Amino acid sequence: MEHAVRTTGLTKRFGDHVVLGDLDLLVPAGCVFGYLGPNGAGKTTTIKLLAGLWRATSGRAEVLGVDVAADRDGVQGRIGYLPGDFAGYPDMTGRQLVGLLGALRGGTDWASVTVLAERFDLDLDKRMGTLSHGNRRKVGIVQAFMGHPELLVLDEPTQGLDPLMQREFLALLGEVRDEGRTVLLSSHVLSEVEAVADVVGILDQGRLLATRSMAQLHADAVRRVDLRFEHDPPVDALRAAAGVRRVDVVGTTVHVSVAGSMADLFRAAAPHGVSSATTHETDLADLFLGFYERGEPSDAQHLRQGAVGPAA
Amino acid sequence: MRSIYAKALWDQRRSLPAWAGALSALVLLESAMWPWMADMPDFDAYLQDFPPAMREMFSLEEMTTGQGFLNAELFSLVLPMLLIVFGITHGARMVAGEEQAGTLDLLLVTPLTTTRLLLEELAALVTGVALLGLAVLASTLAGTAAFGLGITAGAAFSGSLAITLLGIELGAVALVAGALTGRRGVAIGVASAVGLAAYVLYIAGVFVEELASWQGLTPFDQALHEGPLSPGLPATYLWLVLGTAVVGLAALPLWARRDIGAHT
Repeated sequence: MEHAVRTTGLTKRFGDHVVLGDLDLLVPAGCVFGYLGPNGAGKTTTIKLLAGLWRATSGRAEVLGVDVAADRDGVQGRIGYLPGDFAGYPDMTGRQLVGLLGALRGGTDWASVTVLAERFDLDLDKRMGTLSHGNRRKVGIVQAFMGHPELLVLDEPTQGLDPLMQREFLALLGEVRDEGRTVLLSSHVLSEVEAVADVVGILDQGRLLATRSMAQLHADAVRRVDLRFEHDPPVDALRAAAGVRRVDVVGTTVHVSVAGSMADLFRAAAPHGVSSATTHETDLADLFLGFYERGEPSDAQHLRQGAVGPAA
Repeated sequence: MRSIYAKALWDQRRSLPAWAGALSALVLLESAMWPWMADMPDFDAYLQDFPPAMREMFSLEEMTTGQGFLNAELFSLVLPMLLIVFGITHGARMVAGEEQAGTLDLLLVTPLTTTRLLLEELAALVTGVALLGLAVLASTLAGTAAFGLGITAGAAFSGSLAITLLGIELGAVALVAGALTGRRGVAIGVASAVGLAAYVLYIAGVFVEELASWQGLTPFDQALHEGPLSPGLPATYLWLVLGTAVVGLAALPLWARRDIGAHT
């Protein structure tokens, strides 16, 4: 099995409203796939279709080599799933929930449950209604990862986790990948998946804009940097530097957008006395500005800038 | 909890004992009043003052017996309504409630089929209402033994079964309406409307001659026309069972095609 997920022309419409249009998505087996896009782009729709919870209007989805429409329950038994709005049952303990879901899967792998709970410092014997949002989320993670499923489908999994647990979670994803299993995780924040994803797909308004390896993405990414100079900024020299896309001057401060390496920009700026330099997180809109400005096929000009917040 | 059935029963762990206790207390209190009623002079004359249709509806003619008294006071309206309310509220919660809470996703992304999930929920609903029916049966038997209502075990069983089957059928309507719409409020609304329409037809059949032939279609008539406390098991009870089965089975193919959580 070359691809853990393969969709062809996958489309979901509600009435006339196309929430996912003609999606051709390939997720290579044994990788961490970051599924990025602003809120409302169609990430959750894709995940519901792959998990067999929604029916496609047209097109086909294959998960782990199996047509989801033909053998929904077979697919559902082989994937670990974390919904974006995971809440669990307020009156159940984590242990009760994990036991129930495990039983529905033919038996709970308590060994993996214990390891996961310890790793995330989660008390499985507290009722979920009494847990904080982050701790409830951990119950969701435990139920998704228990029993070592071949494919993990995770909708915005790091929401509500504190930075320490987020790091632990990303490490876990790396281990899953190293075992040859596959992870598909959605996020609307690049920096969350940057550290762990091998491949990234970017979705906007129900359409897949591009799929890129992380290495490609880094090379192409447009970043913003603010340079403050001691005296008048050398605007022309900055414009001429390799990779510079855009230069805006405000007093002695210059806002520069650069694609790829910033080495040439800093070489050009350094002799003119840089008093401070501030770099900004790359957000999705900036990321695809790069593709757009080089004339690559992309719909980045339609990407709603407002919906894509800078990385948290 | 090792199955949807067990989980759905676990969800009733507090409401079921509370309902069973309240129903039993109601039946016992009503039974305790019988000795006074039986001793009331001119009771027959008093009953003759009611309109004929009302006398028929509540079987008032028979109110001079313990069995007739409990039929009129509890089994022909109050108890059926209470079991229906239990059936509808719990039926609506089972699938639509899970869906609106976002937990149905978790249960379904397992090898469990949608068909099996709905059938196990239905089985848990049947179990819950049947346990309430059992509480009514037990308290009726206790009441008649303690206060001399003279109700036979067979009559008590028949009456308790009738109201149980009513509660199950309308609960199943709520369960299925919830599974097909994903909304608990809609499920309760649909099942209540069906119940009310059936009850109106049942009552109208008593008052309006032309509607009498339609009366047999309503679950209320099927369950209550013999009493429902009466010796023997009316064959019309089978319609209630059949109705429940049809409601459940008809929903399965539609339910299997639903987009879970898409509209909530």
